[in-house]
Amino acid sequence: MKSKIADAFYRHATLTPDKEAIICDGKAMTYGELADFVSRLSHLLLSCGATYGDHIAIPMNNSIESVALFVSAADLGLCLVPLNASMPYEAVKAAMQAADAKHLIARSSFLRDCARYGHRVTEGFTLCLDTDFEGAVPFSRIDEMPATRPDGPEVDGGETYILTLTSGSTGSPKPIDLSQDNKLNRIMAHQRVYAISEADRILAATPLYHSLAERLVLMPLVLGATCVLLPRFTPQLWIDCARSLKATFTIAVSAQLAQILDVVKQWQIPPIASFRAIVSSSALLEQDVKLELTRLLPCEFHEMYGTSETSTATSICFQQEPSKRDSVGRAFDGAAIAILDDEGRECAPYTVGEIAVASPLRCKGYYKLPALMDEATTRGFFRTGDLGSVDADGYLYFAGRKKELIITGAVNVYPADIDTVVARMEGIAECAAFSFPDHRLGEVVALAVVTKPGTVFQKRRIQTYCARHLADFQQPHKIFRVDALPRNAMGKLRRNDILPLVREAAID
Amino acid sequence: MERITDFVTDYIQREYTLPADTDLMALNYVDTGYVDSLGFVQFIALIEDEFGIQFSDDEIESDDIKVVGRLIAMVEAHLAG
Repeated sequence: MKSKIADAFYRHATLTPDKEAIICDGKAMTYGELADFVSRLSHLLLSCGATYGDHIAIPMNNSIESVALFVSAADLGLCLVPLNASMPYEAVKAAMQAADAKHLIARSSFLRDCARYGHRVTEGFTLCLDTDFEGAVPFSRIDEMPATRPDGPEVDGGETYILTLTSGSTGSPKPIDLSQDNKLNRIMAHQRVYAISEADRILAATPLYHSLAERLVLMPLVLGATCVLLPRFTPQLWIDCARSLKATFTIAVSAQLAQILDVVKQWQIPPIASFRAIVSSSALLEQDVKLELTRLLPCEFHEMYGTSETSTATSICFQQEPSKRDSVGRAFDGAAIAILDDEGRECAPYTVGEIAVASPLRCKGYYKLPALMDEATTRGFFRTGDLGSVDADGYLYFAGRKKELIITGAVNVYPADIDTVVARMEGIAECAAFSFPDHRLGEVVALAVVTKPGTVFQKRRIQTYCARHLADFQQPHKIFRVDALPRNAMGKLRRNDILPLVREAAID
Repeated sequence: MERITDFVTDYIQREYTLPADTDLMALNYVDTGYVDSLGFVQFIALIEDEFGIQFSDDEIESDDIKVVGRLIAMVEAHLAG
């Protein structure tokens, strides 16, 4: 059996070779051209030594090359480990080890960073995307490769296909393991719920190292639709791209939509007429934002709730269910929702508890960490770490987070990762990262530090240390010196109490 | 000047190669998305560390710092100053 994802794509390339497959950053490829490119890429990977089941790490940007790699990896039964390019070397190394990455595909600036540490990052090959780099195969060698689909291995669909790196509460990597069947089932479920067809032009505007954008680029290629990939997000680029390329469907993160709305209001930009449906994900949108968005983008407006582990768990159409506008919807295609109390018992309607999801779209698990997934599961329901309640009609209402997490611009940041790094600095007695409200990004990372006696508090020194040792999304935007961190009687950090503490004391 | 330009262009091109016809000195790297809101904090801290300078809060909040040519001029002014 061949890869179902690759088979579907190549079938469209045969049936509609002249149809636009993908548009990104001013470049476009038809299905025929993209199929040739994917085939050349597969041959390049094979010539480098990639074999069925190998794991390849890639600090991933939004580009046609990255999209082709997803199809190629599917066809060859490879596993991709997409990384954020701003991750510092130590985090990259930890992520690659946790994901058993054998090979590396990267740009020269990333390889230069790694070389500075004098370590060999991988045991397999390194492919350099943008230029010649010592010890790496240049990507330009793709031009020498044949444009015919290689006679790849048998792929049953259950193999690990994508490992998405998240971080556990201890700060160590927790790779979410997705098979090709997982990805395909998620694509088909979204196709059914949002009635996506080959006529759609699907806009992907979030980073490709997150599962949302991966779904949004694979979905059109599996369904024979057109993929519109935004290389970098700014509200203006999103508006220009959606309008000029006539996007019809997208799943956007709520922080993006709020920024888009700001620009539209400021410049009085006319509505974008091409959209058929827009889905907001990641965090709740405020009611007035939703109302204004539906005026700007006159189309079906949906909101969804889900996690990387379970995919979409609930969905609601804003216009179709006006009496439920505070809800994030009812169970999504085949999923079931339960609200659990601290003892794992199901709560009565309207009672707030932990949101738990049972879904056929659930991931394979955490890679090589089965105990972690077992711990997070109660009677087949994945406990999300979010709080919520359901009403008598089964509609879910989000009520906050139980787990310690900061979501900044839709990116999940685990405060423990930041605590661990900053605590290594000389002169820091203790520290804790926490969420600080922000109009544009929803939340930003803030940091409270307690200095050791005799140490002068130097905000700049901490900022510089963070710039060198944390990824861009983990950078503290605000740093506060406090006399002590709030703790309970058992000495456990009360992270949620830091914000009121610094606000009350007006510390900066 | 060259060292500053190299440092800045290297960071900006971490994920994407600038188009060949880019007017680098006039490029607003924030508006064009080469450095996003999350990366900006890191970028400025790295420049300060690399060149041993410290921007004022007014400079960091200015529009000038987001344009490559003006940013380079600001770094040069600090180094000269």
